Amino acid sequence: MEGCPRNICPKLLDLIPQGREWYHEENNNTDQEKKLELRLGPPGGYEEDRSAKKNTETRNNNIMKEQTEISSPSKNHLSPCNKANVSHISQKRTAPGPVVGWPPVRSFRKNLASTSSSKLGNESSHVSHINKNGDGVTQVEPKREGMFVKINMDSVPIGRKIDLNAYNSYEQLSFAVDKLFRGLLAAQRDTSSGEREEKPIIGLLDGKGEFTLTYEDNEGDKMLVGDVPWQMFISSVKRLRVIKSSEISSALRFGCRRR
Amino acid sequence: MAEEDLSEMAKDVELHLKLDPPLSANNKPSRSFKTSSSSSPPPCDTSHVLENVLENVLKFLESRRDRNAVSLVCRSWYRVEAQTRSEVFIGNCYSLSPARLARRFTRVRSLFLKGKPRFADFNLMPPDWGARFAPWVAVTAKAYPWLEKVTLKRMFVTDDDLALLAASFPGFKELVLLCCEGFGTSGVAVVANKCRQLKVLDLIESEVTDDEVDWISCFPEGETHLESLSFDCVESPINFKALERLVVRSPFLKKLRTNRFVSLEELHRLMVRAPQLTSLGTGSFSSSTENAGQGEQEPDYASAFRACRSLVCLSGFRELAAEYLPAISPVCANLTSINFSYANISPDVFRPIIRNCHNVRVFWALDSICDEGLQAVAATCKELRELRIFPFDPSEDSEGPVSGLGLQAISEGCRKLESILYFCQRMTNVAVTAMSENCPQLTVFRLCIMGRHRPDHVTGKPMDDGFGAIVKNCKKLTRLAVSGLLTDKAFSLIGEYGKLIRTLSVAFAGDSDMGLRYILEGCPKLEKLEIRDSPFGDAGLRSGMHRYNDMRFVWMSSCRLSRGSCSDIARALPSVVVEVFGSDDDDVDVDEDNADYVEILYMYRSLDGPRKDAPKFVTIL
Repeated sequence: MEGCPRNICPKLLDLIPQGREWYHEENNNTDQEKKLELRLGPPGGYEEDRSAKKNTETRNNNIMKEQTEISSPSKNHLSPCNKANVSHISQKRTAPGPVVGWPPVRSFRKNLASTSSSKLGNESSHVSHINKNGDGVTQVEPKREGMFVKINMDSVPIGRKIDLNAYNSYEQLSFAVDKLFRGLLAAQRDTSSGEREEKPIIGLLDGKGEFTLTYEDNEGDKMLVGDVPWQMFISSVKRLRVIKSSEISSALRFGCRRR
Repeated sequence: MAEEDLSEMAKDVELHLKLDPPLSANNKPSRSFKTSSSSSPPPCDTSHVLENVLENVLKFLESRRDRNAVSLVCRSWYRVEAQTRSEVFIGNCYSLSPARLARRFTRVRSLFLKGKPRFADFNLMPPDWGARFAPWVAVTAKAYPWLEKVTLKRMFVTDDDLALLAASFPGFKELVLLCCEGFGTSGVAVVANKCRQLKVLDLIESEVTDDEVDWISCFPEGETHLESLSFDCVESPINFKALERLVVRSPFLKKLRTNRFVSLEELHRLMVRAPQLTSLGTGSFSSSTENAGQGEQEPDYASAFRACRSLVCLSGFRELAAEYLPAISPVCANLTSINFSYANISPDVFRPIIRNCHNVRVFWALDSICDEGLQAVAATCKELRELRIFPFDPSEDSEGPVSGLGLQAISEGCRKLESILYFCQRMTNVAVTAMSENCPQLTVFRLCIMGRHRPDHVTGKPMDDGFGAIVKNCKKLTRLAVSGLLTDKAFSLIGEYGKLIRTLSVAFAGDSDMGLRYILEGCPKLEKLEIRDSPFGDAGLRSGMHRYNDMRFVWMSSCRLSRGSCSDIARALPSVVVEVFGSDDDDVDVDEDNADYVEILYMYRSLDGPRKDAPKFVTIL
């Protein structure tokens, strides 16, 4: 039987490889003591054979703690390189914390209880990840890096997504929008000469260009981009839309904002 | 159908081409090396005639495995086979480059590409890992202007890719996207609009971004060629009036799978206009709230079903209003395929329905039908070939309405069973063994006991004996997924008796490296191995050194691997690409203790070496 490889520090994975030895030590407990041991799992005592088995969740520190607290007093708080004190974990009642990708059911098969689950494209499941918290709590949280919002442009059927965290100012954003849509816009407007003129998309923020950049905020209101400080914008924007400047009502254009 | 993919045979061909070809019938060296054609080929040029004959004969050969064998005979046969192969299957998009595909096969009409490994479906793989369709569409756009069919599974497809596809292939007929992502309704709209010969547009279990585009209206006016339209995975409303008009002008439409935004009333309107349908995805199967309580006459759903005399496949039922389910009764006797896996149907509602479904061969459902429901299936569905039972509540602590009782009942009633996927909370060796004895035709056995490391709940023993019985008795088994408490003994049995197993899925099982060794030293036909959270380490991995060149891929996550051994494999096997990464896309782990630990290993054979599009978080050793 293979021992623990010498060149890696045994981690939580290595709870049990040498487990057999100390399991036999445990067997020196009297039956009396065994019965008194607190364990997780249904009564019946059929855990003896397998209770020495590993829990290979590297991320479920939390579970270790829970089980060690409930199990018999000889258990210690689990520390990575301390094989000797590996807890006598009962495997029958498996950990309450969720494990990534288990049971192996695709995301659209979860949440069947809610009849009107609104999954907006790939925003929910695509960005869920295990969060390696220090306290070992296994959570599935949306990633914080990369803030992707949808952006559509009038007369361009293909929408895109844009990562707002990649920019620090409205100017950078405006530049990015131009880069994103310039080619697509030109393709939509095939001139009769057959040659695509790629005109830069400018004046998105000042109302002077052919197009203007607008956004929808977290309250559903449609706003012109550029009024509020950048950070405030970032915190409230939900999606972007590039519309024809001619479509904007004069009220908005001349400085009457809704807020 | 054989799963051997292009790369394996291509590799063999590369080797074989170094050998001399056999002599021709006249006992002269074959002249098939001459690629230049002389202006007047001598009429008694045997090889030339043979090539023509061969070409005409090979046109009838469809099986991938046969064609791969043919291509190994000699250079001439290789060339002719390459020119006549019209359907190409690539099981791992990274096993070769698009350029290589285009060089070898010149007249491809149909392409099937698979991308990410299956565990990516369960969030085990960080996003942006790869499997992009873009390089493939770019190359095939130039190489195969007459491409008609593209099927993609677990690929990353963008709207731009779809636009390029639509623009590049004037005769394009069939697009099937299985478990794909990266695109939205905009891309779908472009395909609908520009592919004028489109017969099949199937979006199946894919993530489709809502770009707020009315893509249904983008189909061109006039009669369409549509035979199949599936969009049940699209999670955004559609323009129903446009759909209705589309259905009316699609006389060849046989398969229509609507999404949950189509109400029962709307479904009725569609069925009335398309009674020729053979496959129907019923959408929400509940009444839209507008009509409820208005006192209007409810449409006669049962008679709409009755009118669909050719209907053999039913799915959908996304928001099932159970009181309407009996409406399908008129077609039950004809149904060969039923998918109830989105509907929380209780046994009481289920039993009267299934009682009439004598011809069902494929049945998918939620475990809400309970063991009772499975017993009803066993009593009626004697022709059942494929069963899938999904959990309504996919957590480890849920009640578990199905168990060994249901499994055993199925095994006793459905003797022709070939494929089963069964989620449950608890299981017994007795039930699994019963299935192994009653269903000798099983080729796919996938049991998922949702509680990790759970033993036989009656005896408390590991599930070794049950799975052992499966591999011993089901001699045709090609795919196996194990779960529950398993010791190395289970793997020793799998290795010894699993002679035909090509795909093996392991999670939270085994005791030691021996488990992995048993598999790698046994299971002679193993091609795809996916393992998670099991105590298999470097020694186990090394024991398979002799095999990895002959396998499509190996996935091991949260096991006990160290970088050193993975590097050794990479060094020893240059035609295997060894990728190592973590489960989130952080850059290389800064934690020094963990620097050597490999969280995810994904390795696969490849003809063209490491890929160039690997993201930063992936290390290719």
